[in-house]
Amino acid sequence: MALPPNVSAEDFAAALTDFAAAVGDDWVFSSDEDVAQYRDSYSILWGEPEERVASAAVAPANVEQIQQIVRVANRYGIPLYPISTGRNLTYGGAAPNLSGSVVLDLKRMNRILEVDEDRHFALVEPGVSYFDLYNYIQERGLKLMLDVPDPGWGSPIGNSLDHGVGYTMAPFRDHFGSHCGMEFVTAEGEVVRTGNGAIPGSDGWQDYRYGVGPMIDGLLAQSNFGIVTKMGFWLMPMPETFLTGTVMVPRYGDFDALVKEVSYLEDSFMIGLPDFGSPSAEGDPGGPMAALMQNGWPSVEQLEEFVSAQGMPAWSVELRFYGPEEVVRAAWGAAQRRFRDRIPGATFEDGYFWRLPLSAEDVAENPRKPELGIPALEIFDMVARKPYTNDAPWEGHADFFAFLPRKAEAVHKAARMMYETYTEVGAPPVHHPFFTPINYYSRAYIMATLVPTWRDPARNAQSRALFSLLLDRCAENGWGVYRTNPAFQEQAVSKYSYNNSALQRYQERLKDSIDPNGIISPGRYGIWPAGMRSGRA
Amino acid sequence: MRKAIITAGLALLATTVGLAQNAPSRDNGKVVYDKWCLPCHGAVAPAEMPFGGYGLPGTSALRIKYRGEIPAVLEDRTDLVPAFIRTVVRGGLFGMPMTRRTEISDAELDDIITYLTRNNN
Repeated sequence: MALPPNVSAEDFAAALTDFAAAVGDDWVFSSDEDVAQYRDSYSILWGEPEERVASAAVAPANVEQIQQIVRVANRYGIPLYPISTGRNLTYGGAAPNLSGSVVLDLKRMNRILEVDEDRHFALVEPGVSYFDLYNYIQERGLKLMLDVPDPGWGSPIGNSLDHGVGYTMAPFRDHFGSHCGMEFVTAEGEVVRTGNGAIPGSDGWQDYRYGVGPMIDGLLAQSNFGIVTKMGFWLMPMPETFLTGTVMVPRYGDFDALVKEVSYLEDSFMIGLPDFGSPSAEGDPGGPMAALMQNGWPSVEQLEEFVSAQGMPAWSVELRFYGPEEVVRAAWGAAQRRFRDRIPGATFEDGYFWRLPLSAEDVAENPRKPELGIPALEIFDMVARKPYTNDAPWEGHADFFAFLPRKAEAVHKAARMMYETYTEVGAPPVHHPFFTPINYYSRAYIMATLVPTWRDPARNAQSRALFSLLLDRCAENGWGVYRTNPAFQEQAVSKYSYNNSALQRYQERLKDSIDPNGIISPGRYGIWPAGMRSGRA
Repeated sequence: MRKAIITAGLALLATTVGLAQNAPSRDNGKVVYDKWCLPCHGAVAPAEMPFGGYGLPGTSALRIKYRGEIPAVLEDRTDLVPAFIRTVVRGGLFGMPMTRRTEISDAELDDIITYLTRNNN
């Protein structure tokens, strides 16, 4: 059995007994078989000495039990690693940042405390999944739309605390940005409520998030300053209809104007997540594109010639409109006029038009669930066994999502950098000159790449080399990642080094004051307690 | 066809009502299966998935793996062995991650096994 760092076997055994006194024997997991459930299924360090593994897990049923657990952890110096549903796959799953931590499994805290159909919000506990919240809303026929990440098994709390994202309108796609009010247990076992929730008896906790004074909610995300036990989320009223339309532009050089116009629509709150693509580059990956790339990265002239030869538009963007029929049809019309005025040769294609909410039958058949706020797991088909990977299907993946400014120049530069980085480490490149960004966060682009992970150390070593080099190259261009696997969090935060890493040093001073024994998630996003810090003054 | 299978299944389930509470429950197995397994292993396969998939990752992967020689939908199988189901649920397999006892309890896993092996020869 693994032990927490600097904790004797006797103290650990005593702590487990005290945990059991708090939650009951059934909810302390310490056998090898039980602890193995808290490994990260997609670990990029699988089976190696550096793999992050727990020493035990404890699963409380309520806030009072968490307070007791925290007091026990302080008494014995045991690091706790809270998880909500434990489904943060590619970003560590249920495994801790620091080996030997005791996972605080909050899955049993799964109450949906309130959903308000008139003020459009929900208040939930950490163990509630997007599936749970969706089913609750459906069973009651509430006219509300969720904004969900691709995998629906995650927790609104866990997802938002790792800055997760979705697909509908901009204010809801940013899951942390759409929260309103939280409750958390401090490292010393005190319960804190933020915003209006701090006024005893307030019924406006989910209406106004600032309260008075500093808004400290941000300290609880991608960090280790407390254990979040409740969060409110603003929801979108169920739109009457959903309409899509695709804009296509003829030339490689049109991407710049396309990006600017999409940003106009996005920042005017006219559209949901825009879906960029390249008709010229789609189709057989071994065909014309491979020939184009044969002699390295092509010039702009070669790219324009390629587009002409393909006879297809260079770029496309599918726009998605939510609202009453009169409004979405008018908005699509206005969008077409604006593109037509700005990009010669732009063409348009009508897409879907659906009245909402969809019937249960339509939901089951509909492949575009996340765009409609319907939780699913269908995205995993992308990384499941395929005819061409039948001999060696991926065992997991570590997602590398770099954020860029919304500029054509940055997108092309990032595509080329990623292509060259893959090539440099000997991995088959997946990027090309027509690679398009995703606009999860409405004010930034994400360049996404999925690095495969394995239960084979040799292949994981290549994946780690690729991931690490991508991080370095992005930072050289001033780009970071919005979220990352624990194996790379230290490296990712080290890039935010302005003024002798003043930002990290400030966070460390907070950590020392708020969590003096360093018991909550040591090392989460590079924030270490004083006793475990190294390399920084 | 699919509806016929479901109807037949429900008829069978109705006969299990009244068993002692501690015995594994096939109808609860169906409930737990629908919650935890169906989103990947369901029978409905939406189109429009990239890279040649069939929509639902579990069903899609098994369709490719077994090439139609064995049903891709787990609920249609007649050869699943309890120990194998338990191992895959707890340990994961390829892209399918492991599932913890706080998610599916041992009793619920027994129920799933009872449900998935109901038609075994």
